[in-house]
Amino acid sequence: MVTVFQNTQVLLLAAVLLIACLAKLTVREEVPGAPDHVHGVPVPAGLARLTTAHGGRRMTVGVGVGEGMLGLALLLTSHLSVRLATTVVFAAATWVVSELRVRRPDAGCGCFGGLSGKKVGRRSVLRALLFTAAAVGSLGAPLAGFDVLLDVQAQVGLVLVVELGLFAALSPELSTLLRRRGLLGGGGLPHGPGRPATPCERRRSPIQETYATLYDSQAWTEHENLIASAVPLDVWREGCWRFVVFPARLDERDVEIVFAVSTADRDRTVRSSVLTAETALSSTS
Amino acid sequence: MQPPHRRGANRRRYRTAVLGASAGGGIPDGAGRPLRVVTGIVLDASPHLLVLGAPGGGETRVAMSDATAVWHGGRTGLAALRPGRPAIVRLKATGDAGGGGYGADRVWLGISRVTGTILACGRDSVDVDMGPHRGRTRVAIPPNALERVLVRHPRLEPGYLIDVICVGSPDGPRAVRPGTSQPGYRADDLAAPEVTAPVPEVLRGTATWFGGADERGTDVPDPADGAAYPAVDPEGDAGGCADAPSGCVAFPYLSIGSEIVVHNECGGRAAAVPVVECGCAAARFCDRCADCDATPRGRIVELTPAAFAGLGGDLESGCFNAAVRPVGTAGRAVSW
Repeated sequence: MVTVFQNTQVLLLAAVLLIACLAKLTVREEVPGAPDHVHGVPVPAGLARLTTAHGGRRMTVGVGVGEGMLGLALLLTSHLSVRLATTVVFAAATWVVSELRVRRPDAGCGCFGGLSGKKVGRRSVLRALLFTAAAVGSLGAPLAGFDVLLDVQAQVGLVLVVELGLFAALSPELSTLLRRRGLLGGGGLPHGPGRPATPCERRRSPIQETYATLYDSQAWTEHENLIASAVPLDVWREGCWRFVVFPARLDERDVEIVFAVSTADRDRTVRSSVLTAETALSSTS
Repeated sequence: MQPPHRRGANRRRYRTAVLGASAGGGIPDGAGRPLRVVTGIVLDASPHLLVLGAPGGGETRVAMSDATAVWHGGRTGLAALRPGRPAIVRLKATGDAGGGGYGADRVWLGISRVTGTILACGRDSVDVDMGPHRGRTRVAIPPNALERVLVRHPRLEPGYLIDVICVGSPDGPRAVRPGTSQPGYRADDLAAPEVTAPVPEVLRGTATWFGGADERGTDVPDPADGAAYPAVDPEGDAGGCADAPSGCVAFPYLSIGSEIVVHNECGGRAAAVPVVECGCAAARFCDRCADCDATPRGRIVELTPAAFAGLGGDLESGCFNAAVRPVGTAGRAVSW
C-alpha cells in the first residue's frame, strides 16, 4: 500500500510540473508588470520588479522549461537525483510562495503563468506545502512514472483522483482559467480569451490605427470624393473618440468634414458630419 | 498655431456636430461660481488703491482695504507692493458702492512654483527638470527655507521629485516653502493603475497650480484660466508628450483645448477650464492633498494661478482637493 502511495506521488508531481510548464509557456500574464495598490498605497514599479518572482517573460519561460524537463524526468526515470531535485524545487516554491504572501500582498505567484495573477493566499501556500510532502513521499518510490502508467492499479487511480481533486480545490487558478474560457460569469472577457479589455477612454490608440479604421469605414466611402486635401486640418482626441477634420468641397462651397473614430480595442465605429464655416449640415454614423 | 482657447472652441463645434450636443455642462449642483482674479505688474500702490499694468496694455485699478492680505515670500504688508512686481490679485465683493464694487482680498507678489524632477543638488540650490514643456530651472533654497523644505522633501537628491513655492528674485526663483509633500518613490518609478482599470466618471485627487511669475519675477502671470492635464493624447495635434507617464489615476485621454470642470471640494467652487498644456510633470506625482480632507492619491490637474485662485485656492498653500468632470461629451453627458 505504501509503495502504491509512493508511486502515485510520482505521477501526481509529474502531472503538476507538466501542467505548470504548459501554463507558463502558453498563458501570459494579463497585465505584465502592472503594479497595484496595497491598502490604498501604490506599489512603486521598481519595488514590484524587485520582489515579484515572475518579473520577466524570459524568466517565466526558463522556469517553465525547467519544470517541464523535471516532469518528464519523473516519468522516464526513477533515479533518486530526479526525486531529490523535485523535492528541493517544491520546498523552494513553498518558501517563495510564503514570502510573497507576506511581502507582496498585491502580486500573484506566477506558479501557473498568467493564471496565477491573483494575490497569494493560504490555499496556494498549503498547496505548495502538500506538494513538498508528496515529493518527500516519492523519494522511495520504486517505479518511474511511465512504468506506473503501464500497469495502472485501481488503488493508484483512486489515490491519484483524490489528490488531483485536492489539487484543484487548492488552486485559485482554476476559476481564472474557467473565466478566461467563458465558462464562469462575472469577469468574462467579451473581447476574446486572454486579452483584457482596456477602457476605450484610456487605451493608447496609434494614429495609424485611426486612419486604417477610417479608410475602411462606410462614412469615409460616402465622403471620400468630397475631400479636398489628404492632409487633415486637425486631429485630436477626447476620451473614446479621435476626431479628424478634412477640408472638402460640396456644391461649390468650402466645407469641413469631421470624422469621429472610436478608440476602442475592437468593433470601432466611425461617425461623420459635414460643416460649413459655423453650422453642421448633416451627421451620419 | 491657434491659441488653446480658440482651438478649443473650434474643436467643441466639431465635436458637437459629429456627436451631438451634450445634455449637461458638468458643473455640479450647488457649486459656487469662481472668484474674480486679475493679474498684472504693480504700477502704483497706496493703502486704498492698487494700480496694475494689464498684460495687453492699459491699467487695472483695484480697491485695497485693511483686510487685504499681501504675500511676498510670506505674509507681508503693503510696503511690498513695489512698482515692477508681478501680482495676482483675488477680488471679493466689497458691498459698498451700491453692492457692485470689488476690492482686493488677497495679493500674491512674484509668486511662482517649481515642480519636477531633481537633476542636481548644490549647496543652496537645486536643478529641476520641470518637463518637456517647461524646461529646466535652478531654484535657490536659502537656509531659512531649507528646513521647511526638508521636512516635506526628505530626499533632496537627484531622481526624486520636488515641488516648492517660490518667490521671484533677480537670481531666479527662490524657494520659500514646500508645495506638497514629496512622494517617496523616484520620479521614474511611478506605479500606474492596471491597464484594465475603468475610468471613473469623476476623477478625484489633488489640484495644484503651475507657472506664476517668470524666473526673474518680472513678467505678468498668465491671466487666463487654464489647466495642465496629465493625460493629453500624444498623437496628431492633441498636444501631449510621447513619453509622458500614465499617472497613478485612470485618466481618460484628452487634448489641448478640451474642457474640464474643476470643482474645489474644500471651497465648493467649480468652473469649466480648458486644457492648455500637457501635465507631464503632474503625472509623476502620486501624492495627496490634505487641504480639508485627505484626497485619493493622484495629482489630477494643474491650474494656472488665476484659475487656482479663482476657485478659492491659496497659492502659497499649494493644493486643494478637487473633482474633475468632463464637460459633456455628446450623448454621454456626464462621462468622458
